[in-house]
Amino acid sequence: MNENPLWVTILKRTAVVVSMIIAFFPIYWLIATSFKPYDQWASWPPVWLTDAPTLQNYRIVFFPEAAREFATAQQGSLDYKVSGSAWKAFQDSAIISTFATFFSVMFGTLAAYSIVRFRTGGENYPFQFLTVRMMPPIAVVVPIVALFSILRLSDTYFGLVLAYTAFTLPFSIWMIRSFIEEVPLELEGAAMVHGMSQFRAFLTITLPLIKGGVLATALFIFILNWSEFLFALVLTAGNVITVTLQVANYVSASSGKLYGVQAAMGTISTLPVILFGYVIQRHLVRGLTFGAIKR
Amino acid sequence: MTTQGVDGPHPSQEQGWSRYLPRFNILLVLPAQLTMMVVVVVPTLIILWLAITDWQPTQAIAWFKAEPIWFWNFYDLWYDSRFTNAVLRTLFVVAVCVSIELGLALGLALLFLDEWPWRRVAVSVIILPMMIIPVDAANAFFMLFNERGPINHLVSLVIGSPYEFSWLSHPTWAMAPIMLAEIWQWTPLMFLLVLTGLMNLPQNQVRAAIVLGASPARIFFKIMLPLLLPVISIALLIRSIETFKIFDPVYILTRGQPGGATETISMFMYNGAFVYFRMGYIAAAALLVLVVVISICLVLARPMTRHG
Repeated sequence: MNENPLWVTILKRTAVVVSMIIAFFPIYWLIATSFKPYDQWASWPPVWLTDAPTLQNYRIVFFPEAAREFATAQQGSLDYKVSGSAWKAFQDSAIISTFATFFSVMFGTLAAYSIVRFRTGGENYPFQFLTVRMMPPIAVVVPIVALFSILRLSDTYFGLVLAYTAFTLPFSIWMIRSFIEEVPLELEGAAMVHGMSQFRAFLTITLPLIKGGVLATALFIFILNWSEFLFALVLTAGNVITVTLQVANYVSASSGKLYGVQAAMGTISTLPVILFGYVIQRHLVRGLTFGAIKR
Repeated sequence: MTTQGVDGPHPSQEQGWSRYLPRFNILLVLPAQLTMMVVVVVPTLIILWLAITDWQPTQAIAWFKAEPIWFWNFYDLWYDSRFTNAVLRTLFVVAVCVSIELGLALGLALLFLDEWPWRRVAVSVIILPMMIIPVDAANAFFMLFNERGPINHLVSLVIGSPYEFSWLSHPTWAMAPIMLAEIWQWTPLMFLLVLTGLMNLPQNQVRAAIVLGASPARIFFKIMLPLLLPVISIALLIRSIETFKIFDPVYILTRGQPGGATETISMFMYNGAFVYFRMGYIAAAALLVLVVVISICLVLARPMTRHG
C-alpha cells in the first residue's frame, strides 16, 4: 500500500506524532514536576517548564535532614511522612521482588516442564493457575490477612514474597510452558538414548535453549512485583515498605499531596521497570497474553 | 497446542525406597501447587467461613471464633446500593475502557503497517505508558486533572477565562480521569497485540485483494479484521479481566470519593474491609465476585488458548 497520495501520508504521520505526544505528556509532567520548587507545584497558571529547576525534591526523597529542613521552611509540622528516607523502600522492594521473582520462575519452570513433558494433571490442570490471575486480588486479600495474622506473616518480607510468588506463578508457568513447547522433544530423546535421565536431559539440553525466554520471564515478573501496590498496602503495617507505598505516602495532613516529592519518587521508582520493559520488549506480548500470542 | 509427552517417570524412579515418594512429575509441580494452596486455596476456604460471620477485627475476637450470622451478609449486600452501584460502575468502566482501547489500538496499528524511518522509535514512545508503574501513572493523572493542573489550564486557554474545575471531587466527572488513566496506560498493550497480529497476517490474501483493486476499507473489514479476530478476542478477554480488577488509579485519584461515587468493586471491598473494618461482610462480597468471575472465566478461557 505504498501508492498513498502525499496528503494521506502526511495525515498518517501527523496522527503518529499526536499519539506520541499524548503517550509522553503525563510522563513529561511527572518528570517536570519533580524538578519544580515548592511554590510551583500547584500554582495557577500551572508551570509547564520550570525556570528555577531544583534537586530539592530528590534530596527530600533520600535525606531525612532535607525533609526536616523543608518542613521547617514551610512552617509545617513534621506530620509529613517524608521523615523516613526512601532508601528503605528501595531496599525492601529490591529484596521482596528479587526473592519473589526467583521463587516464581523456579517453581514455574519445574511445573511448566512437568506439564509439557508429562502432561501432569491432564488438559485442565494449567487452567487452575490461570484462574488465579483472573480473580481480583482484593477478593482474597481479606482471608489472606486473616490467615497471615495466625501464621504471623503480616508485615514481613516472607509474607509479601509468598503472595507475590503465588500471584505471578500463572505468568511464569504459562510463559515458560510456551518456550518449552518450542523445543522439540527429540533433542531430549537423543540425550536419553545416551543414558541421561529425562530430567538431566531437560537441565542440560532444553534449559540452555530456553534460557533467554526464562530470563525474559524473570524480568517480566520482576516488573510486576516491583509495581505491585494492593498487597503491599494491605499486608504491611510500617515495618516493611515498598516503593509503590512510598510513592503513595507523600501526602501530608496539613498541605495535601507533596507533588514535587511524590513526582521525584515516582520518576526514580519507575526508571528500573522502564529499562527492564524495553529490554524484554520482544517478549512483552507473549508475557501479557500468557504465551497465547507469540512474535 | 499438541505436545508429545513421555509416558511416566524414568524407570529408575520406580525402584527401591523411592517408590514411596510421589511420582517424579508430581514432585515437579509440588512447589508451585503448595504456594497456590497457601495463598489461594486456603484463603478461598476461609472466605466461605468469614462470609457467614460478622467478623470485625476491631471486636478483638479471633476470626475463627466469630459468631456466625449465616446468610444475612448476602441479604444486606443485595440491598446495599453502594455495592450494586460499584458492580454496575465496574462493568461500565470495563465496557467503555476496553472498547475505547480497542478502537484506538486498531487505528494506531493501521498507521504502523508500512515501513518508514523512525517507525521503531515511534512504537517505543507509544508503548511507554504501559511500561511505567500504575501508581506513578495514576499520580501523573492526579496532577494533570488537579484544579490547577495543565488540563484545566488548556481549557481556560481555549475558552479565554480561568477554569478551575475540580474533576476529582465531582460525583459524576471524577470517574473520567480514572478511566482516562486506565485507557492511557493500557491502549499501548492493545496496540502491541493488534500490531503483532497484523504483522503475522498471511500477506497473500491482502496482496491479492490489492491487485484485484479492492478499496482499503474493504480490505480492512473483509480480510484483515476476520483474520485478526483470534488476536482481538484474546486482547479483549485479557484487558476485560484486568480492567475488572481496577484498583491502583482509583485509590490514588479518589479512594472512591466523593461519597462512594467512584467506587469500583475492588475499591468498595478495600474501603469496607480496611476503612470500615467489616471483614465478614466484605468476605461475602468477595465470595460472590469469586464465584461469578471464576465461572465466567472457565467458560471463556478454553477457546482463548486454542488459537495458539
